[in-house]
Amino acid sequence: MSRRNRGNAGTTYVNNVRGPTSALTSFLNERGIRRANPAPAPPVATPPENQDDNEDDDDDEPTSPPNHAAASSSSSSTPAPASSSRPTRTARLIRGRNLPARSTRASQSNEADGVDDDSDSGDSDDDDDSDSDNKNLIPIVISTSTARAVRATRSRVTAVAASSSSSVAVASSSNASSSTAKGKAAASKKRPRKKDASDDSDDEDFHDITGHISRSNFSHKGRMPQGSNKIVFCSRCRARFTIKAGTTPAVDEDDGGLLCPTCAGTGSPGPSKNALPKAKPVKRARRKAQKAEIECHIPSLQDLCIRKIANSIEDVEAFGDISDLSLDKICKIICRNRSLNADTLQLFLDSRHSELILYDCTDITAVGLQSIAQFCPNLRSLKLKLCGRITNEVMDYYTEHLTKLTSLMLIGPILILEHTYIKLFETVGERFEKFELKGSSRFSLKAIKALCDNCPNIIHLRLGDCNLMDDEWLEPIAGLTKLKSLRIRNPEPDKLTTPAVVKLIQAVGSGLEELELKGCNGLTDEVLVDAIRPSCVRVERLNLSGCEELTTEGVETLLKDWSVNPGLTYINLENCVMLKDEALMALTKHSGDTLEELNVSGMDELTKDALQTLTRCVNLMELDASWVRAMDDDIMEQLVEAAPRLAKVTVWGDHRLTECCSSRKGLKIVGREGDYVDLRFI
Amino acid sequence: MSESEYVTLESSDGFQFVIHREVAMLSGTVKNMLSSPGHFTESTEGVIQFRDIKAIILEKVCKYWYYKARHLNSVTEIPHFEIEPEYALETLMAADFLDSKRKNCCPVCHL
Repeated sequence: MSRRNRGNAGTTYVNNVRGPTSALTSFLNERGIRRANPAPAPPVATPPENQDDNEDDDDDEPTSPPNHAAASSSSSSTPAPASSSRPTRTARLIRGRNLPARSTRASQSNEADGVDDDSDSGDSDDDDDSDSDNKNLIPIVISTSTARAVRATRSRVTAVAASSSSSVAVASSSNASSSTAKGKAAASKKRPRKKDASDDSDDEDFHDITGHISRSNFSHKGRMPQGSNKIVFCSRCRARFTIKAGTTPAVDEDDGGLLCPTCAGTGSPGPSKNALPKAKPVKRARRKAQKAEIECHIPSLQDLCIRKIANSIEDVEAFGDISDLSLDKICKIICRNRSLNADTLQLFLDSRHSELILYDCTDITAVGLQSIAQFCPNLRSLKLKLCGRITNEVMDYYTEHLTKLTSLMLIGPILILEHTYIKLFETVGERFEKFELKGSSRFSLKAIKALCDNCPNIIHLRLGDCNLMDDEWLEPIAGLTKLKSLRIRNPEPDKLTTPAVVKLIQAVGSGLEELELKGCNGLTDEVLVDAIRPSCVRVERLNLSGCEELTTEGVETLLKDWSVNPGLTYINLENCVMLKDEALMALTKHSGDTLEELNVSGMDELTKDALQTLTRCVNLMELDASWVRAMDDDIMEQLVEAAPRLAKVTVWGDHRLTECCSSRKGLKIVGREGDYVDLRFI
Repeated sequence: MSESEYVTLESSDGFQFVIHREVAMLSGTVKNMLSSPGHFTESTEGVIQFRDIKAIILEKVCKYWYYKARHLNSVTEIPHFEIEPEYALETLMAADFLDSKRKNCCPVCHL
């Protein structure tokens, strides 16, 4: 933990800064590490980890006392241990971080010193300050080069620690004493450098940047609630800020709202110094509590066993008499662990099974896939995901031997050719009810015609990511009058046009219970108004995600007084970016009672007024309101109250939703900004 | 009919586990057995025989029920419940059977 933290801190604060000279200087300034001022760093800029780091540095401790001794003996001054300890430790702390940046700095400044020794003394006090601080570190970094250099440097570190008042005097003395070290170190120079002055001006720039309020004020840690701190939003700029415990924020004269420090012009909020040590334990406690909240759900005994079995799947000989549900769960887990192969596949094959779902067939060879038909001849439903290795021969084998097959789902069958599909459809004929195909660029117009001609009893048809799909495909599909579920997903851009889709939906719409047109981004309002409204009277699940051309007026016309449709249970309007408040209001008015799942992710135009109408959806179970920036604690609270069945809310990018908003047991809020720390624990 | 605080679960190899009734009720199947309206031996005498579950598995299951009962409303961190890999499969089978949610599960047959 300590190591990782330190690494993190190093990355955050130093690594990304590329300026060779200014990186360390700015870092030191930001941390408030100054030779002239050994007092603790300004609390605002110092994150709580700093202390942790110091404590965790203890494992380095055994090496340092001898150095101290050597240092004090070589330098004439004998520092009191108490006064020396803090700055030295700080120096060591820095030494532990970010070697590359520092060594660059080291070689450069050494070179500079070697070339022009007087340049340092000509600098202003302030620059000299930071500069000599850097030098304190330099020889430590390159300590392997000369032992003498090391000793000289350490003596300087100690000297710096001891003399805390007179910075100039120390600077000059350190310059003098380290000249030998510089001479040695200058041997490693790579390029001549004579721009000390320009570098110093760079340093000043960085002073300004790092000293600016915004940086320290908007660090994430600064926004975490600590103790009784409160997260509120500025009434003027809507920025989120924290009211520290015991401070009162500025108030806007106009409307009485609270103002963030930037708007109020008060500069850094500057919490009192004694607030810093307290912050840490409080935060820890909260983090722990959240972790417990996540884990307080007791897993069922089945799940515990399934996890155990899935972990040692290689040792299992046979599953015996376990339920289909458990079997499916085991399959899911081992597919996720990528351990489903020809050997483990055998565990899932049994002639009793009528249904088989394999979630990742990547590691199963064609022979293994063929064995599915050999061992499970009674399969009625077969789903193979990621089945890139399935060949035409295997498919033909299925066609011949799976005589009860009514449902087939293939994801990514890249090797299977058109004629194999046609043969399959001709064989399965009227008993075929469900066909799902994703990610095939060889499924063609001929194949879809064969499907529609031979298999009139198709109920579910799902075609996704089929590159060859175009308007002509829709004509044969229009002949499938028994369709209940139609999903067309991600056709090639501009291949599906609005008139063709309208015609299709008018033909098959009356029977549809589910309609998905995901990613058909060229479709316009006619689909809603002329096709879905008059035809899809039974539709319960509607997925229009990614149909960017749909407008508010279209959705309003569709849903206004759409009494022939009793109400939708699922609607997905993800990334329908043009839709505004009125669309959502019309939706909640039409399907408020029935809606169980709603996705309005990416509808950035929505405002609080529309979101408030979500409280009509009393049966809502799942809501995805990511990137709907009007979503805030207030609405969430109303929603939690109004919808008792609500189980999951996704809120990525809703920055007005804080971790302070109320939740309840059983409700999962995914993607809250303030929770990001805890994602690491899950 | 007075209800005893404890119930007895008997494994296939003759071991008896006397556990709290409320803990045993965490299992859907046991609950159905104990609270069925008919006068079955299970509900009147509070003794249930599991002819398919070995003692070592039944012990594990009982331990899990107590673990669950103990931590059901806990807000602090819950310790991990350890299952030996060699018994995981049999425990899963027993758990599948015992966690049945069906209301009208016949208490006598199906064993």
